Amino acid sequence: MNSVNLDQHGEALLQQYRDLRPSLEQLCQQAYDLLCQALAEQGIYVTAIEHRVKTEQSLAGKLELKGAKYKSIDDVTDLVGLRVITFYTDDVDKVAVIAKRIFDIDWQESVDKRKLHQLDAFGYNSLHYICRLKTGGPRFELQMRTALQHVWSTIEHDTGYKGSVKIPRKYKRQFSRLAGMLELIDDEFSRLRQELTDYRRQIQSLVKSGQLDEVPLSLESFRNFIDQNHFDYLNKRIAAVNQAEIYPVSMMPFLPVLESFGMETLGDVQRFMEENGEDAYQLALAQLAVTDLDILSSSTALQYLCMVYVLKHDGGREGLKSIFDTINGESEANGVLAEMMLEQAETLPFMQKKQ
Amino acid sequence: MTTVLKEENNDLVMYFEGRLDTSAAPEAEKAVAPLKESSGRNIILDCSQLDYISSAGLRIFLSVLKSAKPKGDHVYIRGISDSIRAVFAMTGFVNLFEFK
Repeated sequence: MNSVNLDQHGEALLQQYRDLRPSLEQLCQQAYDLLCQALAEQGIYVTAIEHRVKTEQSLAGKLELKGAKYKSIDDVTDLVGLRVITFYTDDVDKVAVIAKRIFDIDWQESVDKRKLHQLDAFGYNSLHYICRLKTGGPRFELQMRTALQHVWSTIEHDTGYKGSVKIPRKYKRQFSRLAGMLELIDDEFSRLRQELTDYRRQIQSLVKSGQLDEVPLSLESFRNFIDQNHFDYLNKRIAAVNQAEIYPVSMMPFLPVLESFGMETLGDVQRFMEENGEDAYQLALAQLAVTDLDILSSSTALQYLCMVYVLKHDGGREGLKSIFDTINGESEANGVLAEMMLEQAETLPFMQKKQ
Repeated sequence: MTTVLKEENNDLVMYFEGRLDTSAAPEAEKAVAPLKESSGRNIILDCSQLDYISSAGLRIFLSVLKSAKPKGDHVYIRGISDSIRAVFAMTGFVNLFEFK
């Protein structure tokens, strides 16, 4: 199997491991399933959840180095290992809380490596719990760390264990500096997430309270605006022309169109709806009433609003083509479409008034 | 209304010919079933010989798109006439499909 030399005690431990192996496999799967389920229930998204039973070769290596430390195989706490790799540092603590809830933790053996460093030192950062299923059985190790901590420790492990040459101080220091840098980046990512959450809440409350002039038009705010069903009334009015079903689609492709109109706040969008709603309805009516089309996308109202806005601002054929080019990619066929739309619009009162 | 399914350069191409209206819809619905079952291939709805599409036809196209999207497959509409493109535009579906 390998070139490991074990004494009698080590061989005995290895045999105990072989006997235990099937139950370790079972424990590994059970612990993994429990953890996955609990994280999913709490809505915690992580980059990876790894699980493994220690290989015989790896255990033999460990026993060769420090076999005397273990009285029985039960003293080796990482025969089964799970690792949760999170996006954010805060999530490491959340995973830890969940672990405490679903497993029994052996606090004597568990260690928070994040707290072991001196104030001026940086290095391996990870939270290790030694756990047991609530139903009993052997202990297992659960490691929790962020993706950046994982990258650092994987590279450090890979480099440190390769070859027999001792790593000089200056390279060790380089690793520590990188650990410090990654810790800083981890903190910045968490801070950014918190700030974005606060911003979203603030936008939501402004949209809810109708203070739309205070809300800059952005991906986030426009999505909120749509979620508040501001286009529903006009959509339903248009759908009523042919008793049509409204098929839900994303309205986000229209954001660049609104931005191209120079709209800067949700207040601008609100006024755009109020000023063009009736004419948008008339245009939709002129087009749809002569058909039996009884299915419409939920972006229909917004599309007609944009078309009316362009026509009222002398955008003509090119302006209409530009809407279709923006939402559907540039194409000459959009020019033909624009001409057809323009032709149908020309008889409408708002176009007559303009002339 | 006739439909023909072909494989072209690993794409699945469904050719529509005639009028895709309410009366043709049940047959067309059956015809597109293999498109909904496919995975990992582009789907092309060839409309170069399609004269007319009603809401029932739109619903069939939408159902193909709905089954393809979660699988990450693309649905292209090819050879569409101006009048049928106008139907997609009037109903607000023009940006939902990719046109070839």
